[in-house]
Amino acid sequence: MRLRLALLAVLALLLTPLVAGAAPRQVVLLFTGDNGGEIAPCG
Amino acid sequence: MLVLDAGNALFKSPTPGGDPKEKERAGLLLEQMDALGTTAMAVGARDLTLGTDCLARATKGRTMKLLSANLVDAAGKPLFPASTVATGGGVKFGLVGLSPEGPVTPQKGVVGSPPVPAALAESRRLREKEKVDVVVVLAAVPYQDAVKLSQEVGNAVDFILHSHEGRGQGVAQRNDFASLVPTGERGRQVGRLELSVEGKGPFVDLSEEERARQQLKILDTHLQQARQSLAAAKDEKVRKTWEETIASFEARRKALELQVEPGKQGLGRTHRLSYIQLGSNVADDSAVKQLVERIEPPGSASH
Repeated sequence: MRLRLALLAVLALLLTPLVAGAAPRQVVLLFTGDNGGEIAPCG
Repeated sequence: MLVLDAGNALFKSPTPGGDPKEKERAGLLLEQMDALGTTAMAVGARDLTLGTDCLARATKGRTMKLLSANLVDAAGKPLFPASTVATGGGVKFGLVGLSPEGPVTPQKGVVGSPPVPAALAESRRLREKEKVDVVVVLAAVPYQDAVKLSQEVGNAVDFILHSHEGRGQGVAQRNDFASLVPTGERGRQVGRLELSVEGKGPFVDLSEEERARQQLKILDTHLQQARQSLAAAKDEKVRKTWEETIASFEARRKALELQVEPGKQGLGRTHRLSYIQLGSNVADDSAVKQLVERIEPPGSASH
């Protein structure tokens, strides 16, 4: 029991920096709008 | 990465007949948007020029989703899915489409119901049931409706990508929680929103901070010139005018300093908006060029 508690404590210590230092997720949205039927450079 | 379209992509006008090649153009656009990997597009007034049936037929079997939370037929039945869920960069997005309110010109019985309540209901459902991280409304509605949405939707929506009047590119505007973003016009640019997502709360605009830094630089130059002018001035009236000018510059400086406080970079939810200009420096894709030239031969009025 004591060993299990100690293991849990070690695990908690090991995981804490991972959680605290978890980097925000990065993502890019590319978007268009109001193209209005354009298919050619001046069209 | 996700590719989105805020609508009004396919036709020059919401009423048919203005261009004999309008159907071919719209078909090519839908084909290419799908090939580019566009996840979803809102159904705007200038997508409905040939009616909803024609649009549904043209998009059958395509991956790209056409969305509208408020477009209904004569029986009040929705004509397109209200939303879709997509994941990019480990972030779960809820994407909602909005069409303009009122009857659709070329089709009897088809009508856009009030967009704000429709967007609010669908966005809340996506947050609560689908547990999405970010809600984006593709709002093909008049600008005043998009502003109203940004003011009334509370924290149910993160971004409103707007199209309707061809307002072009611009800066993100945050009236309450959601950021209202212009989407460019006439295929002249591609908008780019770089997101950093962690935790909750409104997205902080990192471009705003950059703009404030640039304004501070200009203001400091003006302040220096004003102080020199004050030191050189002998007349009491002139000195007073310079003192007032300096006071107003300093007040503005204080306000700008608050916007450039360090630490924003590390915040959980931030965005940076930019636009990629599609000028002559961007090379044509030869296969797509051939397809375009079948509809618009070089030297034709529209090419």
